[in-house]
Amino acid sequence: MDNASAAMSVKPPTKPMLGATAQLTAQLPIDGLRLKARAAAEAKVQPDNDAALVDAIRRGDAGSREALYHRFKRRVYALAVRIVGTVDAEEVAQEAFIRIFRGLTKFRGDAALATWIYRLAVNAALSHRSRRAAAAQPEAPDAVDAQAGAEPVRGDAVLRVRIERALARLPVGYRTVIVLHDVEGLEHEEVAQILGCHVGTSKSQLHKARARLREMLAADGITAAALENG
Amino acid sequence: MTACRAYTTERLSAFADGDLSAAEAAAVRAHAATCPDCTAALADLRALVSNTARLDAPEPPPTLWPSIAGALDKHERRGWFSIANWRPFAVGALAGAAVVLAIVALPALRGPRNGVPAGSPIAETAATSPAVADPLLHEAEAEFAEAAAAYERSIEKLRGLLARQEARWSPQERTRMAERLGRLDDAIARSRELARRTPGDSAGNEQLFAAYQQKIAFLAAAVHRGGEAGEWDKAGARTP
Repeated sequence: MDNASAAMSVKPPTKPMLGATAQLTAQLPIDGLRLKARAAAEAKVQPDNDAALVDAIRRGDAGSREALYHRFKRRVYALAVRIVGTVDAEEVAQEAFIRIFRGLTKFRGDAALATWIYRLAVNAALSHRSRRAAAAQPEAPDAVDAQAGAEPVRGDAVLRVRIERALARLPVGYRTVIVLHDVEGLEHEEVAQILGCHVGTSKSQLHKARARLREMLAADGITAAALENG
Repeated sequence: MTACRAYTTERLSAFADGDLSAAEAAAVRAHAATCPDCTAALADLRALVSNTARLDAPEPPPTLWPSIAGALDKHERRGWFSIANWRPFAVGALAGAAVVLAIVALPALRGPRNGVPAGSPIAETAATSPAVADPLLHEAEAEFAEAAAAYERSIEKLRGLLARQEARWSPQERTRMAERLGRLDDAIARSRELARRTPGDSAGNEQLFAAYQQKIAFLAAAVHRGGEAGEWDKAGARTP
Protein backbone atom coordinates (compact mmCIF):
# COMPACT_ATOMS: atom_id res chain seq x y z
CA MET A 1 0.00 0.00 0.00
CA ASP A 2 1.47 3.39 -0.96
CA ASN A 3 1.33 6.61 1.04
CA ALA A 4 -1.90 7.76 -0.51
CA SER A 5 -3.52 4.45 0.30
CA ALA A 6 -2.20 4.43 3.84
CA ALA A 7 -3.59 7.89 4.44
CA MET A 8 -7.09 6.59 3.66
CA SER A 9 -7.06 3.88 6.26
CA VAL A 10 -10.46 3.12 7.68
CA LYS A 11 -11.50 3.48 11.27
CA PRO A 12 -12.00 0.42 13.45
CA PRO A 13 -15.55 -0.80 14.06
CA THR A 14 -17.55 0.97 16.71
CA LYS A 15 -16.63 -0.24 20.17
CA PRO A 16 -19.20 -2.29 22.04
CA MET A 17 -21.57 -0.42 24.28
CA LEU A 18 -22.23 -2.65 27.24
CA GLY A 19 -25.11 -2.43 29.64
CA ALA A 20 -25.87 1.21 29.10
CA THR A 21 -29.64 1.14 29.24
CA ALA A 22 -30.52 -1.65 31.61
CA GLN A 23 -31.70 0.78 34.26
CA LEU A 24 -33.60 2.85 31.76
CA THR A 25 -35.19 -0.26 30.32
CA ALA A 26 -36.29 -1.31 33.78
CA GLN A 27 -38.05 2.01 34.22
CA LEU A 28 -40.14 1.81 31.09
CA PRO A 29 -43.79 0.90 31.51
CA ILE A 30 -43.68 -1.48 28.56
CA ASP A 31 -45.06 -4.92 29.25
CA GLY A 32 -45.19 -4.40 32.95
CA LEU A 33 -43.32 -5.78 35.90
CA ARG A 34 -42.21 -8.96 34.20
CA LEU A 35 -39.94 -7.08 31.80
CA LYS A 36 -38.68 -4.81 34.55
CA ALA A 37 -37.68 -7.75 36.67
CA ARG A 38 -36.11 -9.53 33.77
CA ALA A 39 -34.18 -6.44 32.69
CA ALA A 40 -32.77 -6.12 36.19
CA ALA A 41 -31.73 -9.77 36.20
CA GLU A 42 -30.31 -9.70 32.69
CA ALA A 43 -28.20 -6.64 33.35
CA LYS A 44 -25.91 -8.78 35.49
CA VAL A 45 -24.54 -11.06 32.77
CA GLN A 46 -22.24 -9.73 30.09
CA PRO A 47 -19.61 -12.18 28.86
CA ASP A 48 -16.59 -10.43 27.42
CA ASN A 49 -16.09 -12.18 24.10
CA ASP A 50 -18.57 -12.91 21.37
CA ALA A 51 -18.26 -16.70 21.48
CA ALA A 52 -18.90 -16.79 25.22
CA LEU A 53 -21.85 -14.49 24.78
CA VAL A 54 -23.34 -16.70 22.07
CA ASP A 55 -22.88 -19.73 24.30
CA ALA A 56 -24.54 -17.92 27.17
CA ILE A 57 -27.52 -17.06 24.98
CA ARG A 58 -27.81 -20.64 23.78
CA ARG A 59 -27.79 -21.82 27.39
CA GLY A 60 -30.51 -19.29 28.16
CA ASP A 61 -28.40 -17.42 30.71
CA ALA A 62 -30.21 -14.48 32.19
CA GLY A 63 -29.05 -11.20 30.76
CA SER A 64 -27.12 -12.67 27.86
CA ARG A 65 -29.51 -11.47 25.20
CA GLU A 66 -29.56 -7.97 26.54
CA ALA A 67 -25.76 -7.99 26.70
CA LEU A 68 -25.60 -8.88 23.02
CA TYR A 69 -28.13 -6.18 22.26
CA HIS A 70 -26.05 -3.54 24.02
CA ARG A 71 -22.92 -4.76 22.30
CA PHE A 72 -24.37 -4.29 18.83
CA LYS A 73 -27.26 -1.89 19.21
CA ARG A 74 -25.51 1.22 17.92
CA ARG A 75 -24.08 -0.53 14.91
CA VAL A 76 -27.39 -2.16 13.98
CA TYR A 77 -29.42 0.96 14.61
CA ALA A 78 -26.99 3.24 12.75
CA LEU A 79 -27.06 0.88 9.79
CA ALA A 80 -30.85 0.92 9.84
CA VAL A 81 -30.96 4.72 10.03
CA ARG A 82 -28.66 5.04 7.06
CA ILE A 83 -30.42 2.48 4.89
CA VAL A 84 -34.09 3.19 5.66
CA GLY A 85 -34.06 6.55 7.51
CA THR A 86 -34.88 7.37 11.12
CA VAL A 87 -38.65 6.99 10.74
CA ASP A 88 -38.37 3.27 10.04
CA ALA A 89 -35.04 2.58 11.72
CA GLU A 90 -36.45 1.40 15.04
CA GLU A 91 -38.78 -1.05 13.32
CA VAL A 92 -35.95 -2.36 11.17
CA ALA A 93 -33.55 -2.63 14.11
CA GLN A 94 -36.20 -4.52 16.06
CA GLU A 95 -36.74 -6.90 13.16
CA ALA A 96 -32.99 -7.34 12.79
CA PHE A 97 -32.49 -8.22 16.46
CA ILE A 98 -35.40 -10.64 16.41
CA ARG A 99 -33.82 -12.37 13.41
CA ILE A 100 -30.50 -12.36 15.24
CA PHE A 101 -31.85 -13.97 18.41
CA ARG A 102 -33.94 -16.51 16.54
CA GLY A 103 -31.05 -17.34 14.24
CA LEU A 104 -28.36 -17.67 16.90
CA THR A 105 -29.04 -21.39 17.25
CA LYS A 106 -27.98 -21.75 13.61
CA PHE A 107 -24.96 -19.47 13.88
CA ARG A 108 -21.96 -21.75 13.37
CA GLY A 109 -19.19 -19.24 13.77
CA ASP A 110 -18.06 -19.52 10.15
CA ALA A 111 -18.05 -15.73 10.05
CA ALA A 112 -17.35 -13.29 12.85
CA LEU A 113 -20.41 -12.64 14.97
CA ALA A 114 -20.35 -8.96 14.00
CA THR A 115 -20.27 -9.81 10.30
CA TRP A 116 -23.17 -12.22 10.71
CA ILE A 117 -25.14 -9.60 12.64
CA TYR A 118 -24.43 -6.96 10.02
CA ARG A 119 -25.69 -9.36 7.37
CA LEU A 120 -28.97 -9.90 9.17
CA ALA A 121 -29.31 -6.18 9.79
CA VAL A 122 -28.65 -5.31 6.15
CA ASN A 123 -31.10 -8.00 5.03
CA ALA A 124 -33.75 -6.69 7.40
CA ALA A 125 -33.23 -3.15 6.13
CA LEU A 126 -33.27 -4.12 2.46
CA SER A 127 -36.34 -6.33 2.96
CA HIS A 128 -38.05 -3.42 4.61
CA ARG A 129 -37.25 -1.17 1.67
CA SER A 130 -38.53 -3.81 -0.74
CA ARG A 131 -41.79 -4.14 1.16
CA ARG A 132 -42.22 -0.38 1.15
CA ALA A 133 -41.54 -0.26 -2.56
CA ALA A 134 -44.03 -3.08 -3.16
CA ALA A 135 -46.62 -1.22 -1.14
CA ALA A 136 -45.80 1.92 -3.13
CA GLN A 137 -45.44 3.94 0.03
CA PRO A 138 -43.50 7.16 -0.14
CA GLU A 139 -39.92 7.11 1.07
CA ALA A 140 -39.41 8.02 4.68
CA PRO A 141 -38.24 11.59 5.15
CA ASP A 142 -34.50 11.86 5.18
CA ALA A 143 -33.40 11.29 8.74
CA VAL A 144 -30.52 13.67 8.58
CA ASP A 145 -32.53 16.45 6.97
CA ALA A 146 -34.91 16.25 9.87
CA GLN A 147 -32.06 16.26 12.31
CA ALA A 148 -30.41 19.21 10.60
CA GLY A 149 -33.58 21.20 10.71
CA ALA A 150 -34.18 20.44 14.35
CA GLU A 151 -31.09 22.07 15.75
CA PRO A 152 -28.42 24.38 14.41
CA VAL A 153 -25.09 22.75 13.76
CA ARG A 154 -21.71 24.34 13.35
CA GLY A 155 -18.24 23.62 12.00
CA ASP A 156 -17.50 20.03 11.11
CA ALA A 157 -20.91 19.04 12.46
CA VAL A 158 -22.41 20.93 9.52
CA LEU A 159 -20.15 19.06 7.17
CA ARG A 160 -21.15 15.73 8.66
CA VAL A 161 -24.81 16.55 8.35
CA ARG A 162 -24.25 17.37 4.70
CA ILE A 163 -22.37 14.16 4.17
CA GLU A 164 -25.24 12.28 5.82
CA ARG A 165 -27.71 14.03 3.53
CA ALA A 166 -25.68 13.13 0.48
CA LEU A 167 -25.36 9.54 1.69
CA ALA A 168 -29.12 9.34 2.07
CA ARG A 169 -29.52 10.35 -1.57
CA LEU A 170 -27.14 7.72 -2.89
CA PRO A 171 -28.66 4.66 -4.56
CA VAL A 172 -29.19 2.08 -1.83
CA GLY A 173 -26.56 -0.30 -3.19
CA TYR A 174 -23.86 2.36 -3.17
CA ARG A 175 -25.06 3.63 0.17
CA THR A 176 -24.91 0.20 1.79
CA VAL A 177 -21.37 -0.45 0.62
CA ILE A 178 -20.06 2.94 1.67
CA VAL A 179 -21.76 2.68 5.06
CA LEU A 180 -20.35 -0.78 5.71
CA HIS A 181 -16.84 0.01 4.52
CA ASP A 182 -16.18 3.68 5.15
CA VAL A 183 -18.55 4.40 8.02
CA GLU A 184 -18.57 1.11 9.89
CA GLY A 185 -14.99 0.29 9.03
CA LEU A 186 -15.46 -3.23 7.68
CA GLU A 187 -13.01 -4.86 5.30
CA HIS A 188 -14.07 -5.71 1.76
CA GLU A 189 -14.04 -9.41 2.61
CA GLU A 190 -16.60 -8.76 5.33
CA VAL A 191 -18.68 -6.48 3.11
CA ALA A 192 -18.71 -9.15 0.42
CA GLN A 193 -19.86 -11.77 2.96
CA ILE A 194 -22.60 -9.50 4.19
CA LEU A 195 -23.86 -8.58 0.75
CA GLY A 196 -23.28 -11.97 -0.80
CA CYS A 197 -21.05 -10.65 -3.56
CA HIS A 198 -17.45 -10.94 -4.67
CA VAL A 199 -14.75 -8.86 -3.01
CA GLY A 200 -14.04 -7.24 -6.37
CA THR A 201 -17.66 -6.19 -6.65
CA SER A 202 -17.54 -4.66 -3.19
CA LYS A 203 -14.45 -2.70 -4.14
CA SER A 204 -15.78 -1.46 -7.46
CA GLN A 205 -19.10 -0.48 -5.87
CA LEU A 206 -17.29 1.41 -3.14
CA HIS A 207 -15.20 3.44 -5.58
CA LYS A 208 -18.25 4.26 -7.66
CA ALA A 209 -20.13 5.20 -4.51
CA ARG A 210 -17.38 7.53 -3.33
CA ALA A 211 -17.20 9.18 -6.74
CA ARG A 212 -20.98 9.72 -6.73
CA LEU A 213 -20.89 11.00 -3.17
CA ARG A 214 -18.15 13.47 -4.03
CA GLU A 215 -20.18 14.71 -7.01
CA MET A 216 -23.21 15.24 -4.80
CA LEU A 217 -21.24 17.13 -2.20
CA ALA A 218 -19.68 19.31 -4.88
CA ALA A 219 -23.15 20.01 -6.23
CA ASP A 220 -24.13 21.02 -2.69
CA GLY A 221 -21.25 23.46 -2.60
CA ILE A 222 -18.99 21.40 -0.38
CA THR A 223 -15.49 22.30 -1.46
CA ALA A 224 -12.31 20.35 -1.09
CA ALA A 225 -11.20 22.91 1.47
CA ALA A 226 -14.33 22.33 3.51
CA LEU A 227 -13.73 18.61 3.46
CA GLU A 228 -10.11 18.99 4.44
CA ASN A 229 -10.94 21.37 7.28
CA GLY A 230 -13.84 19.23 8.48
CA MET B 1 -13.37 16.77 -8.52
CA THR B 2 -10.66 17.43 -10.98
CA ALA B 3 -10.32 19.32 -14.23
CA CYS B 4 -7.82 16.74 -15.36
CA ARG B 5 -9.51 13.91 -17.22
CA ALA B 6 -6.64 11.45 -17.06
CA TYR B 7 -8.27 9.51 -14.21
CA THR B 8 -11.82 9.42 -12.92
CA THR B 9 -12.62 9.92 -9.24
CA GLU B 10 -13.50 6.23 -9.18
CA ARG B 11 -10.03 5.24 -10.39
CA LEU B 12 -8.38 7.64 -8.00
CA SER B 13 -10.39 6.09 -5.17
CA ALA B 14 -9.19 2.64 -6.21
CA PHE B 15 -5.63 3.96 -6.32
CA ALA B 16 -5.99 5.50 -2.88
CA ASP B 17 -7.19 2.19 -1.44
CA GLY B 18 -4.42 0.21 -3.13
CA ASP B 19 -6.92 -1.63 -5.30
CA LEU B 20 -5.13 -1.04 -8.62
CA SER B 21 -2.58 -3.38 -10.09
CA ALA B 22 1.05 -2.47 -9.48
CA ALA B 23 1.42 -1.21 -13.04
CA GLU B 24 -1.72 0.93 -12.89
CA ALA B 25 -0.79 2.28 -9.49
CA ALA B 26 2.66 3.24 -10.74
CA ALA B 27 1.13 5.06 -13.68
CA VAL B 28 -1.30 6.99 -11.45
CA ARG B 29 1.46 7.83 -9.00
CA ALA B 30 3.69 9.12 -11.78
CA HIS B 31 0.86 11.17 -13.24
CA ALA B 32 -0.21 12.63 -9.89
CA ALA B 33 3.33 13.71 -9.19
CA THR B 34 3.10 16.17 -12.07
CA CYS B 35 -0.64 16.94 -12.02
CA PRO B 36 -1.88 19.40 -9.39
CA ASP B 37 -5.52 18.60 -10.21
CA CYS B 38 -5.16 14.90 -9.54
CA THR B 39 -3.05 15.53 -6.44
CA ALA B 40 -5.82 17.81 -5.16
CA ALA B 41 -8.47 15.27 -6.09
CA LEU B 42 -6.63 12.58 -4.12
CA ALA B 43 -6.41 14.87 -1.09
CA ASP B 44 -10.09 15.65 -1.53
CA LEU B 45 -10.99 11.96 -1.55
CA ARG B 46 -8.80 11.34 1.47
CA ALA B 47 -10.66 14.06 3.36
CA LEU B 48 -14.03 12.69 2.26
CA VAL B 49 -13.21 9.21 3.54
CA SER B 50 -11.83 10.64 6.76
CA ASN B 51 -14.99 12.67 7.38
CA THR B 52 -17.24 9.75 6.47
CA ALA B 53 -15.39 7.56 8.95
CA ARG B 54 -16.09 10.08 11.69
CA LEU B 55 -19.86 10.10 11.22
CA ASP B 56 -21.64 9.46 14.48
CA ALA B 57 -23.48 6.26 15.29
CA PRO B 58 -26.84 7.43 16.59
CA GLU B 59 -28.02 6.06 19.92
CA PRO B 60 -31.12 3.90 19.47
CA PRO B 61 -34.26 5.00 21.28
CA PRO B 62 -34.71 3.58 24.79
CA THR B 63 -37.88 1.83 23.65
CA LEU B 64 -35.97 -0.45 21.29
CA TRP B 65 -34.80 -3.13 23.72
CA PRO B 66 -38.16 -3.42 25.53
CA SER B 67 -39.83 -3.81 22.13
CA ILE B 68 -37.41 -6.56 21.13
CA ALA B 69 -37.67 -8.32 24.50
CA GLY B 70 -41.45 -8.13 24.36
CA ALA B 71 -41.59 -9.49 20.81
CA LEU B 72 -39.26 -12.37 21.70
CA ASP B 73 -41.22 -13.15 24.81
CA LYS B 74 -44.48 -13.18 22.88
CA HIS B 75 -42.97 -15.38 20.18
CA GLU B 76 -41.63 -17.84 22.72
CA ARG B 77 -44.92 -18.05 24.58
CA ARG B 78 -46.56 -18.93 21.28
CA GLY B 79 -43.72 -21.30 20.54
CA TRP B 80 -44.37 -23.15 23.79
CA PHE B 81 -47.79 -23.89 22.47
CA SER B 82 -46.58 -24.69 18.98
CA ILE B 83 -47.38 -28.05 17.49
CA ALA B 84 -43.73 -29.00 17.89
CA ASN B 85 -44.21 -28.90 21.63
CA TRP B 86 -47.71 -30.27 21.67
CA ARG B 87 -47.23 -32.98 19.08
CA PRO B 88 -45.76 -35.46 21.59
CA PHE B 89 -48.73 -34.81 23.81
CA ALA B 90 -51.21 -35.08 20.98
CA VAL B 91 -49.47 -38.20 19.76
CA GLY B 92 -49.53 -39.38 23.35
CA ALA B 93 -53.27 -38.90 23.44
CA LEU B 94 -53.63 -40.90 20.25
CA ALA B 95 -51.23 -43.51 21.55
CA GLY B 96 -53.25 -43.68 24.74
CA ALA B 97 -56.37 -44.23 22.72
CA ALA B 98 -54.58 -46.92 20.73
CA VAL B 99 -53.60 -48.65 23.96
CA VAL B 100 -57.20 -48.47 25.05
CA LEU B 101 -58.20 -50.00 21.75
CA ALA B 102 -55.63 -52.75 21.95
CA ILE B 103 -55.92 -53.75 25.59
CA VAL B 104 -59.05 -52.40 27.15
CA ALA B 105 -61.50 -52.66 24.31
CA LEU B 106 -60.66 -56.11 23.04
CA PRO B 107 -63.52 -57.66 25.02
CA ALA B 108 -65.86 -55.17 23.44
CA LEU B 109 -64.62 -56.09 19.97
CA ARG B 110 -65.30 -59.73 20.73
CA GLY B 111 -68.77 -58.87 21.93
CA PRO B 112 -71.99 -58.48 20.01
CA ARG B 113 -71.65 -56.64 16.68
CA ASN B 114 -75.05 -55.05 16.62
CA GLY B 115 -73.94 -51.60 17.83
CA VAL B 116 -75.22 -48.39 16.44
CA PRO B 117 -73.06 -46.45 13.97
CA ALA B 118 -70.48 -44.25 15.57
CA GLY B 119 -70.77 -40.51 15.36
CA SER B 120 -68.34 -37.84 16.41
CA PRO B 121 -69.77 -35.68 19.16
CA ILE B 122 -67.46 -32.90 18.16
CA ALA B 123 -68.22 -31.35 14.86
CA GLU B 124 -66.92 -27.91 15.46
CA THR B 125 -63.24 -27.39 14.82
CA ALA B 126 -60.84 -24.51 14.73
CA ALA B 127 -62.13 -23.74 11.26
CA THR B 128 -64.58 -21.56 13.11
CA SER B 129 -61.78 -19.45 14.49
CA PRO B 130 -61.85 -15.85 13.46
CA ALA B 131 -59.58 -14.63 10.72
CA VAL B 132 -56.18 -13.90 12.14
CA ALA B 133 -54.16 -11.18 10.49
CA ASP B 134 -50.81 -11.77 12.16
CA PRO B 135 -49.01 -14.55 10.25
CA LEU B 136 -47.36 -15.88 13.43
CA LEU B 137 -50.66 -15.90 15.21
CA HIS B 138 -52.24 -17.58 12.24
CA GLU B 139 -49.54 -20.23 12.36
CA ALA B 140 -50.07 -20.76 16.09
CA GLU B 141 -53.81 -21.06 15.60
CA ALA B 142 -53.31 -23.62 12.85
CA GLU B 143 -51.11 -25.62 15.20
CA PHE B 144 -53.68 -25.46 17.98
CA ALA B 145 -56.29 -26.63 15.49
CA GLU B 146 -54.07 -29.53 14.48
CA ALA B 147 -53.61 -30.61 18.10
CA ALA B 148 -57.35 -30.25 18.72
CA ALA B 149 -58.05 -32.39 15.66
CA ALA B 150 -55.76 -35.10 17.05
CA TYR B 151 -57.73 -35.13 20.30
CA GLU B 152 -60.97 -35.28 18.39
CA ARG B 153 -59.82 -38.27 16.36
CA SER B 154 -59.03 -40.08 19.61
CA ILE B 155 -62.44 -39.19 20.99
CA GLU B 156 -64.14 -40.33 17.82
CA LYS B 157 -62.47 -43.73 17.96
CA LEU B 158 -63.40 -44.24 21.60
CA ARG B 159 -66.91 -43.03 20.92
CA GLY B 160 -67.22 -45.55 18.11
CA LEU B 161 -66.19 -48.37 20.41
CA LEU B 162 -68.60 -47.28 23.08
CA ALA B 163 -71.44 -47.01 20.57
CA ARG B 164 -71.20 -50.76 19.90
CA GLN B 165 -72.05 -51.43 23.51
CA GLU B 166 -74.86 -48.96 23.86
CA ALA B 167 -77.38 -51.25 22.21
CA ARG B 168 -77.24 -53.46 25.28
CA TRP B 169 -77.90 -50.60 27.67
CA SER B 170 -81.21 -49.60 29.13
CA PRO B 171 -82.79 -46.33 27.98
CA GLN B 172 -81.90 -44.82 31.37
CA GLU B 173 -78.25 -45.75 30.96
CA ARG B 174 -78.18 -44.23 27.51
CA THR B 175 -79.71 -41.05 28.88
CA ARG B 176 -77.10 -40.83 31.67
CA MET B 177 -74.32 -41.40 29.18
CA ALA B 178 -75.77 -38.72 26.91
CA GLU B 179 -75.98 -36.28 29.85
CA ARG B 180 -72.41 -36.88 30.92
CA LEU B 181 -71.04 -36.63 27.41
CA GLY B 182 -73.13 -33.50 27.02
CA ARG B 183 -71.48 -31.92 30.07
CA LEU B 184 -68.05 -32.83 28.75
CA ASP B 185 -68.97 -31.40 25.37
CA ASP B 186 -70.21 -28.22 27.06
CA ALA B 187 -66.86 -27.88 28.83
CA ILE B 188 -65.07 -28.35 25.51
CA ALA B 189 -67.33 -25.83 23.81
CA ARG B 190 -66.77 -23.25 26.57
CA SER B 191 -63.02 -23.76 26.40
CA ARG B 192 -63.06 -23.53 22.65
CA GLU B 193 -64.98 -20.28 22.85
CA LEU B 194 -62.45 -18.93 25.36
CA ALA B 195 -59.62 -19.94 23.06
CA ARG B 196 -61.42 -18.36 20.11
CA ARG B 197 -61.86 -15.07 21.98
CA THR B 198 -58.18 -14.96 22.95
CA PRO B 199 -56.33 -16.31 19.91
CA GLY B 200 -52.78 -17.34 20.63
CA ASP B 201 -53.27 -17.00 24.38
CA SER B 202 -52.15 -20.01 26.38
CA ALA B 203 -54.96 -20.07 28.94
CA GLY B 204 -57.79 -20.79 26.53
CA ASN B 205 -55.94 -23.53 24.75
CA GLU B 206 -54.71 -25.11 27.98
CA GLN B 207 -58.29 -25.29 29.16
CA LEU B 208 -59.47 -26.68 25.85
CA PHE B 209 -56.86 -29.41 25.84
CA ALA B 210 -57.65 -30.24 29.47
CA ALA B 211 -61.31 -30.61 28.53
CA TYR B 212 -60.39 -32.94 25.67
CA GLN B 213 -58.25 -35.02 28.01
CA GLN B 214 -61.09 -35.27 30.51
CA LYS B 215 -63.44 -36.55 27.84
CA ILE B 216 -60.87 -39.04 26.57
CA ALA B 217 -60.30 -40.33 30.11
CA PHE B 218 -64.04 -40.68 30.67
CA LEU B 219 -64.62 -42.48 27.37
CA ALA B 220 -61.64 -44.77 27.89
CA ALA B 221 -62.89 -45.72 31.35
CA ALA B 222 -66.40 -46.22 29.99
CA VAL B 223 -65.17 -48.47 27.20
CA HIS B 224 -63.07 -50.41 29.68
CA ARG B 225 -65.98 -50.95 32.06
CA GLY B 226 -68.71 -51.12 29.49
CA GLY B 227 -68.41 -54.76 28.44
CA GLU B 228 -71.58 -55.46 30.30
CA ALA B 229 -74.65 -53.31 30.52
CA GLY B 230 -74.42 -50.73 33.28
CA GLU B 231 -70.77 -51.39 34.04
CA TRP B 232 -69.57 -48.14 32.49
CA ASP B 233 -71.29 -46.18 35.23
CA LYS B 234 -69.54 -47.93 38.11
CA ALA B 235 -67.24 -46.02 40.43
CA GLY B 236 -63.83 -45.50 38.94
CA ALA B 237 -64.96 -44.12 35.64
CA ARG B 238 -64.09 -40.43 35.76
CA THR B 239 -67.22 -38.45 35.35
CA PRO B 240 -67.62 -34.79 34.70
